[in-house]
Amino acid sequence: MLDQAFEALKTFDWGADLGPLRPIDEALISSRGDAAARMELEARLAAVLKTGVSRAAKDFVCRKLMVIGTAASVPALAALLAEKDHSHMARYALERIGAAEAAAALRDALPKLAGALKVGVIGSLGARRDAASVPLLAGLLGNADTAVACSAALALGAIRTAEASQALAKARPSNEQVKQAVTDSALACAEGLLAAGKPAEAQAIYTAYAGADQPKHVRLAATRGMLACAGKKP
Amino acid sequence: MDSFDRPTRREFLKTAGAGLAIPYVITSTALGNADVPPASERIVMGGIGIGNMGRGDQGAFLGRPDVQYVAVCDVRGGVRDAAKKKVDEHYKNTDCKAYNDFREMLARTDIDAVHVATPDHWHAIMVIEACRSGKDVYCQKPETRTLREGPLMVEAARRYARVVSGGSQRVLEDYRKTVDPCWSGELGELKWINVNVGPLSQPCNLPAELVPADMDWEMWLGPALWAPYNKARCDGNFGTSGGSWRSYIDYSGGGMTDWGAHHFGGATFAADVRELQPEEVIYNKEGGEEFLAYRYPNGLLLYHNRPNAGNLQVEGTPGASRPPKAVPSYKGTGGIYGDFIECVKTRERPFRDIELAVNTVMLSHLGIIAYTLKRSLKWDRGKQEFPGDEEANRLLDRARREPWQL
Repeated sequence: MLDQAFEALKTFDWGADLGPLRPIDEALISSRGDAAARMELEARLAAVLKTGVSRAAKDFVCRKLMVIGTAASVPALAALLAEKDHSHMARYALERIGAAEAAAALRDALPKLAGALKVGVIGSLGARRDAASVPLLAGLLGNADTAVACSAALALGAIRTAEASQALAKARPSNEQVKQAVTDSALACAEGLLAAGKPAEAQAIYTAYAGADQPKHVRLAATRGMLACAGKKP
Repeated sequence: MDSFDRPTRREFLKTAGAGLAIPYVITSTALGNADVPPASERIVMGGIGIGNMGRGDQGAFLGRPDVQYVAVCDVRGGVRDAAKKKVDEHYKNTDCKAYNDFREMLARTDIDAVHVATPDHWHAIMVIEACRSGKDVYCQKPETRTLREGPLMVEAARRYARVVSGGSQRVLEDYRKTVDPCWSGELGELKWINVNVGPLSQPCNLPAELVPADMDWEMWLGPALWAPYNKARCDGNFGTSGGSWRSYIDYSGGGMTDWGAHHFGGATFAADVRELQPEEVIYNKEGGEEFLAYRYPNGLLLYHNRPNAGNLQVEGTPGASRPPKAVPSYKGTGGIYGDFIECVKTRERPFRDIELAVNTVMLSHLGIIAYTLKRSLKWDRGKQEFPGDEEANRLLDRARREPWQL
């Protein structure tokens, strides 16, 4: 049955019945606890990505590798990151695969991509809270592509390490959208610092956003943060 | 109403007026009357996603004298035009602005609050972005599509001290026969409560159809996986067994989240565990029938589809009554919509505060993961993850299609 399902993948496309692929779903569950079976299943799935099957078929495979993928699948997935029709689905798996190789593949792809695909990879690094990508992301805060700069700022806010906080503090965006993303992420970092028992460092961030030049809701956030730093309930 | 955390109409009118090249006419509507507050006192609102639920939400807010409804947003041109026409006819002018891209609406500094009733896969991005823009939000249920989204929505609301309300009116209004005896104390300590709801959403592989000329299909999909347009894929009808976006996993959790937001909300309200999260989800299978038990830190068991148990059936401690508690309710007038508007004015937390709503919908998501993996799960509230369980943790979230991120 499993062989037939992989055979069906070769001609699978939008509108096709999902029934013939069901043995692959069943194998995902039945192979739990059987490392060899899982490894074989993963290898077969990853191999499909190297063939000329349809976008729908590769999407199906990436959904499965999101669940069972390991470092072994990373090369096949990483090869799709620069392809417009497959980049998201490659990240769909890579973002959730815990192996360090998956994060490394995303970081490696970053300098080679532009536009929306670059934004997508930045978002995945942020979602993974990948601390190792902070220097790369910091370098994108001043990117001429507003979407890239915004995405880098939000990713740094998600990662929320001291290094991420420092990178955001150095940013001097002039674009309003980037400014909003940097602000939000700086405030997120302040919350992280406060939660980590570093009120003085958090206070410095909040003070920077409490000025009259800031939007009201940002000043409110900063004021509440400063109260929290002082041990008072906002 | 001048307050620190809400842009004032007076400020906006002053700013806007400075740039006007035509005489500014102060209408009787702007000044208000005995029944209608002056424009400077009204909550300025816009709506995003004005389909089935959104249309109802729009009507509810539009009908309020303390709301000035100024903008609509939808990726379907026909729906968008109809929504604008409804507003314009209500105010007898053509002032309502119509948007295809919600970000343009959120960039407006004169809007205080928005309501969101898009398909579920958009909720978190829109709510968080609205908070970053200083807006209060009324978001339809189910408020989240993944577990990771919930805490980020709560965080954004708290960061900017925004009023963010979830959208289930049924939690307070539909389950009083269960809620009241629980809160009155007559049932004693609750042992368990059961929710029957479903089904889970399904994969979707519908064929491609021609995209309607007035529809921005890329924007409808947004952060979801790319797929070709098909009317059944994006239909907003309330079915959860096919032929609607509510049926399919990329956009919805199916009846488990759509009705789960109501029923789990009612159950957690009745049991007074709205602020808690379960520590464990126990997967069971008896006679071929799957069911779950969510174990709360206070010992309560919340069942899903417990065999031979009715929806919202509750088991107390016979003969052991406990002191009664006052049942919380809406603030203001006008049901859940009035509750939200009143809280926008007073800066209190609404009845379906986003944190409580997130705690509800997470039960649906936890359940879906347990049924998918066909096993029990532990849950760490502090870390918002399944401790030491990489397989389950992969299902906490899913990568968003570029350029969208949380």
